[in-house]
Amino acid sequence: MVSGGILSPIIGTIILMALVLLISVPIGVLGAIFITEYWGNHRISRIWWMVVNNLAGVPSIVWGLVGLGLLVYYLDFGLSLLAASITLSFVALPLIMIATKEAVDAIPSSIREASIALGATKWQTIRHHTIPYSASGILTGIILSLSRTAGETAPILLTGVAVNAAIPNSLFDSIQALPYYIYLMTQTSDRSAAIPMAYAAALVLIFLIVVMNLGAIVLRNRYRKKYRW
Amino acid sequence: MAKIQVEKLNVHFEKNHALKDVSISIEEGEITAIIGPSGCGKSTFIRCINRMNDLILGCKVDGNVIVDGNNIYDKDVDVVDVRKKIGMVFQKPNPFPKSIFENIAYAPRIHGVTDGDGNVHKASKKELQEIVEWSLRRSALWDEVKDRLDKSAYNLSGGQQQRLCIARALAIRPGIILFDEPCSALDPIATAKIEDLLIDLKNEYTVLIVTHNMQQAARVADKTAYFYMGDLIEFGETKQIFENPKEKLTEQYITGRMG
Ligand SMILES: Nc1ncnc2c1ncn2[C@@H]1O[C@H](COP(=O)(O)OP(=O)(O)OP(=O)(O)O)[C@@H](O)[C@H]1O
Ligand SMILES: [Mg+2]
Repeated sequence: MVSGGILSPIIGTIILMALVLLISVPIGVLGAIFITEYWGNHRISRIWWMVVNNLAGVPSIVWGLVGLGLLVYYLDFGLSLLAASITLSFVALPLIMIATKEAVDAIPSSIREASIALGATKWQTIRHHTIPYSASGILTGIILSLSRTAGETAPILLTGVAVNAAIPNSLFDSIQALPYYIYLMTQTSDRSAAIPMAYAAALVLIFLIVVMNLGAIVLRNRYRKKYRW
Repeated sequence: MAKIQVEKLNVHFEKNHALKDVSISIEEGEITAIIGPSGCGKSTFIRCINRMNDLILGCKVDGNVIVDGNNIYDKDVDVVDVRKKIGMVFQKPNPFPKSIFENIAYAPRIHGVTDGDGNVHKASKKELQEIVEWSLRRSALWDEVKDRLDKSAYNLSGGQQQRLCIARALAIRPGIILFDEPCSALDPIATAKIEDLLIDLKNEYTVLIVTHNMQQAARVADKTAYFYMGDLIEFGETKQIFENPKEKLTEQYITGRMG
């Protein structure tokens, strides 16, 4: 059973992360900015954030079940890269939205007023002020949420991973991923061979996460230097 | 014709009737001081003139504000166009966390530049430099910052930041400038500089300034309006308001028995 090497899980995790990024960053960041800037203190927005805060606390196995029921069976994606990455995006989305909201809320409203009073439109104000000034906070939030999702096992376990799956060719192939691989290696009967591989995979996973976090720090510092207040 | 003609202006914040039937007529090139106790509606009043109250949820404005002959509350008016022609300076200096240059270049950059024939084109680098220099000279800040235009505006002192905010407002070439307690966060020397600047801007610009400082109103303003609990109690020549107020309420406020 312990046949395949670690390449497929590594590539699998990287592809998963890329897809999660692709799905949850545009929706999460733009959605959060839209809601905070355009709906402000409306009741809808307060209810919305209450819901998002609760969603951020939902255990990841529950998202796994949602993905299994909704994506794998109902939408008939099967155990696939697509179902797994959307399910992981469920985990990442609320985190990214909250990070974005916090970064946007941290900008003093006097700065927005200054821009509006100069005759800028709301969108110009968002584009030239809100987004650049909150970018460092948003980027940090994105990468931290992503590195949390990278280590999630339960959601993908139910939606997209398979033992010894190869590097996927399409969105509908099943895949391997590092956390799942680690789990698998600790469960196998051939322990003497498998346990070192589990540790090796864990090291790689931690390395990936450290690299992501370092990236977050570098990006954040770059923006901090540019826009300081 | 008056530069700004306000007719029966009423403002509600939810149930709070913040301005009641205010009518006032402001002449071009004059400085008008708005005075009155805290919460009487001074800020609300000047924020009606560039429709900044639109941003506040639950704020309802009724009545007419006629600027240069057009009612800015008409349905087909583009609020962005209204604000492009009116500068505003706030109580606390609020520069953008960008360089001094970018602070001033921002508005001309997004709006473009209007040439002699009234056509708008994208601002060239050279034009932006000219506008920045002109605005900074006009706000008496040029000599202090000309060597560090690319440095963050946040490195400036409070008084300099406020003059930068004035320069930023001047860069849109407004006809009217609204000041909401521009000196309340500044020391006396910085305040004196802003007052000199205000007097210098007079004639060219129509200025409305909210102030809690009676001496300041007396020093800079041609006309003074006294608000009390949402009502415009008295409006007239500054000298007359301070030396010979017609209304009892005004007199009480001026002589410091209230507010
Ligand atoms: N954003 C807002 N939401 C609700 N009510 C407001 C808001 N802004 C002002 N008000 C109310 O409108 C009234 C007038 O307020 P305004 O800020 O115009 O007073 P002011 O004369 O500028 O006072 P101050 O001298 O303290 O600045 C007050 O009763 C205030 O509570
Ligand atoms: Mg006020």
